[in-house]
Amino acid sequence: MNPRYTVEHLTRYAYTAPVSQSWQLARLTPRGLAWQKLLSHALQIDPKPDARHDTLDSFGNHVTHFGLHGAHRLLSVRMHCLVEVAPRAAVGREAGATVQDVRDALRADPTLDDLAPARLSEPTPLVPFTEAARRYASDALLPERDWFDAVSALMHAIHDEFEFDATATTVTTSVDEVLQHRRGVCQDFAHLMLACLRSHGLPARYVSGYLLTDPPPGQPRMLGVDASHAWVAAYSPACGWVEFDPTNDQLADQRYITLAWGADFADVVPVRGVILGGGDQLLDVEVSVMPA
Amino acid sequence: MQQQSQQSSTSSGEPPGRLGATLLSGYAPLQGRYDELLSGPHALRPHWDAFMRSLADRAGPEVADTLALMEREIRENGVTYNVYADQQGADRPWQVDPLPLLLSASEWAGIEAGIAQRAELLNRVLVDIYGPQELLRSGAIPPSVIFGHSGFLHQVQGIRPPGGKHLFQYAADLARSPDGRWWVVSDRTQAPSGMGYALENRLVVSRVFPQLFGELRVQHLASFFDALRESLLRSAPKADEPPRVVLLTPGPYNETYFEHALLARYLGFALVEGTDLTVRGDCVWMKTVDGLKRVHAILRRQDDDYCDPLELRSDSALGVPGLTDCARRGTVLLANALGSGVLESGALLGYLPKLSESLLGEPLKLPSVATWWLGEPAALRDAWARLDKVIIKPLDRSPREPAVFGVDLSAAERAKLYERVAAQPQRYVAQEWVRVSQAPVLERGAREPERRAHERLSGRSVGLRVFAVATPEGYRVMPGGLTRVAGDGDSRVIAMQRGGSSKDTWVLSDVPVNASFSLLSTTVKPEDLVSSKGSLPSRAAENLFWFGRYGERCDATARLLRVAIAQVLDGTADRADGVAPALLLAERLGLVELSDDPAGDLLRAATHPDKALSGQLRQLARVAFNLRDRMSVDNWRTLNQLHNDAVFEQTATLPVALAWLQRAVTSMMTLSGFVLDGMTRGTGWRFLSIGRRIERLSNVCTALRVACNEGQAHGLDWLLDLCDSTVTYRSRYLVAPEWLPVLDLLVRDEANPRSVAFQVKGLAEYIAKLEATHGRFGSDVLAPAQALLRALDPIDLHPDSSALSACLDRLQAAANAVSDELSLKFFSHAVSRSVLSRVA
Repeated sequence: MNPRYTVEHLTRYAYTAPVSQSWQLARLTPRGLAWQKLLSHALQIDPKPDARHDTLDSFGNHVTHFGLHGAHRLLSVRMHCLVEVAPRAAVGREAGATVQDVRDALRADPTLDDLAPARLSEPTPLVPFTEAARRYASDALLPERDWFDAVSALMHAIHDEFEFDATATTVTTSVDEVLQHRRGVCQDFAHLMLACLRSHGLPARYVSGYLLTDPPPGQPRMLGVDASHAWVAAYSPACGWVEFDPTNDQLADQRYITLAWGADFADVVPVRGVILGGGDQLLDVEVSVMPA
Repeated sequence: MQQQSQQSSTSSGEPPGRLGATLLSGYAPLQGRYDELLSGPHALRPHWDAFMRSLADRAGPEVADTLALMEREIRENGVTYNVYADQQGADRPWQVDPLPLLLSASEWAGIEAGIAQRAELLNRVLVDIYGPQELLRSGAIPPSVIFGHSGFLHQVQGIRPPGGKHLFQYAADLARSPDGRWWVVSDRTQAPSGMGYALENRLVVSRVFPQLFGELRVQHLASFFDALRESLLRSAPKADEPPRVVLLTPGPYNETYFEHALLARYLGFALVEGTDLTVRGDCVWMKTVDGLKRVHAILRRQDDDYCDPLELRSDSALGVPGLTDCARRGTVLLANALGSGVLESGALLGYLPKLSESLLGEPLKLPSVATWWLGEPAALRDAWARLDKVIIKPLDRSPREPAVFGVDLSAAERAKLYERVAAQPQRYVAQEWVRVSQAPVLERGAREPERRAHERLSGRSVGLRVFAVATPEGYRVMPGGLTRVAGDGDSRVIAMQRGGSSKDTWVLSDVPVNASFSLLSTTVKPEDLVSSKGSLPSRAAENLFWFGRYGERCDATARLLRVAIAQVLDGTADRADGVAPALLLAERLGLVELSDDPAGDLLRAATHPDKALSGQLRQLARVAFNLRDRMSVDNWRTLNQLHNDAVFEQTATLPVALAWLQRAVTSMMTLSGFVLDGMTRGTGWRFLSIGRRIERLSNVCTALRVACNEGQAHGLDWLLDLCDSTVTYRSRYLVAPEWLPVLDLLVRDEANPRSVAFQVKGLAEYIAKLEATHGRFGSDVLAPAQALLRALDPIDLHPDSSALSACLDRLQAAANAVSDELSLKFFSHAVSRSVLSRVA
């Protein structure tokens, strides 16, 4: 029996002045995947939006668009769902491709996996090409090294050499700054790892999701459980997409619930929007993930 | 020299007369470059023959006059191209050379066909990359060329614009190589600029050569703009009402704002900024003083990624949140569609010939300058092997990383560049360095007295920007274009941002041209008349209101300074019984800070470029700038003359200042004459008039209080003079000014346009008109004050009356309150916008 989880994700804004207009995008519907089944899902928005509709973005994430056109001082977006997670496919390492092999394969055929790797090899606003990241990763990503070992070594390095520190960075902290200060949160480590991989010509994507809030007895509580978590999926033609979590130094397993993915955090922000008015705002996010 | 011109005559048929001796001396074709004018030393190309002969006939003083006329026209029409952070500020005059670039009919036919084909091809590419992406899957375009370009917006993947036209407007930069062939240097596909400047150049230059313009059968531009307008109206999503099209501009600080305003006016579309639009439900709406009005099509001059802070760049303050989703749902036509900027990637150029074969089944008619995407390892090697012959350009045009001519680099610089490029070769292209053609420009001597003797032609590098627009019948190409001229510095770089100039482009015709020149008369249909009613954008209403207030304020200031200076000059200013009231009033209004030298204070207030009057005129000009699409050229000219007056350029004396103030007062009267005489009595006019009345009411009240409280010893002549009521008073009373009749004239007389009562009456009328359609906002505060004024007894018309003083106070407070209420009701869109911080 595969584990099932209930996820509660509450986002609340309190404004010091009335907001007259608000346009929002929510990416708060966990993806349906070969190993992940969404058994039930509800997204409650309060006050009730004047307009609301759903689309899929180009990464296949579910997006809820909504607009509020009456004055309000509070906005709450509550997601509740039930998810079943099966084991992910084992990483097939028989091929034994090296880092250089992966690069060459993609150069020879950039259309692999429906163009996704080609698209996820390019710099993005939040993960620009940086020479510092390329240099940092050179030790781990040696061309002749086995791809899986090399990416794993990069994950270990980030885990060992960087400190988890929720106060050290903000959403605007750049990869270079994270590299300099050696601190950050899961989002920073994911961006750093993406910058490292892509600067070496290796495609990778940003994955956002959840971890179990309280671990089973005897197991340590993992980092990144208090909000949505972030990790990285790297691609090789032989292994497909393999999910590395540099924050916890492990591959994603049945404890990892996938919410959305994209090229960087900007593509998967759970709630983003534009408002008119509002004054200062207080943001409160609560996430809880329970075994069901 | 004379003999040389004789030789030229033999090659071109008729003797060109003085041409060779004057204009052509010193002009010669350059080795290794195509010359637009000459086919060999002194041999005119045939299609220039008629033009040059006519020019030679006018050479000398007439040409100088022509030039001067043109420059004045450009300045006074306010044609500008702003360069960000340019030292001359936001108002650098547009540069146009009077000589057009001439293109023969047969040559043009080739360009026209090539551009139409290219636009079609590029649109097909967009349809694919934002649709099935077959071109990427098949390898026809390397995926990295698309995904690696910042213009590719994955957010718009899957959006199919109305009519399947992503590329609604298109521009290409062409250059002519030494062998005479035209090549495409780059494609402009997201919000191509220049067609408005081309139009303005045509308006100016065709006026310089009116007769020649007809004789040479130059093809007209009007039908192109007509096609653009028609096509937008026809392609807009269908609705129950006539489609509303707007032109979206990033605002007055954009470098090409002038042409946004010009095009909006010429095409008859509302000029809007992002904050004028809003998304409700699944549609885009324009905020007007009559409420929200649905927008069906947006002619977009704003860059792709700034268009929607919700889905695209979240730091954009210029966009319309939710716009992308409206495009996705097909409720609005965006011209161009979001994401079309990806075609500006130079990396695509090399793949176009094959794409043309596969998508259109025909060879590419107009070739691109040879361009190699350095993401291909072989291309990088080859480019470095012949670096002297190529230009290295980043794919994303960026001021921080300009194109580099390999030939300019030292060995060390080459190594450095290589390091940068090799780290991310997919971000660069190498482009063959084309020695572009040169064309004649009219040059003049720099020094004024001698300049008449110095007109001559000299050669400058030119490039041609051409334009196309999608119509249901295929792409239509503008018969002409914007010829861009290199500055005299680096002849290899043609860029308006680098101080270049421009030319009109005359496409000659073998057959008589269609002379229906007027755009509007041929295309206005009854339904357009309906849609033109009402719906004044809120921002325009706000600007009109402030235009009224600032205009009145400038007028009041000029008059007050004039009165005060006259008092100083008369010696009536410093008398034993205190400071002259005009001076006091000027101080009260913040125009001067009085020192021991009131004459100097006033002089500075009137003529110093940083002081009172100049500052107010600048404010007026700034507001007017935002109203550009609504102002007539004459209106503009008057305004530009005012705030660019020569008096601000040097230290002035009192008499000079006085003369300037007379001039200013006259010009301000001209401006208000335009409002009175030239503006339709619509909602916009009402906002402007309310602004004027409020300002004048407030000013008169202040003046009256100063006169009553502190000016009793100084007579009343100054007050009548200030309130432009001297003549009226004299004709009525035939006695020296006395308090009772003066106060009656300035306070109670509803027929005197400078009186308190006149302002209040007008205000009440305009407010009532607006309230009838928009609900109450101002009558409640104005009515009690107005009642007080009406109740004012003639026996209270003396300077010590407390009833008079209370009435004036009450009216002034009411004026301010009406201004606030009006802003709240109609302009409240100005609330600042904040973007939510993201979740961590």
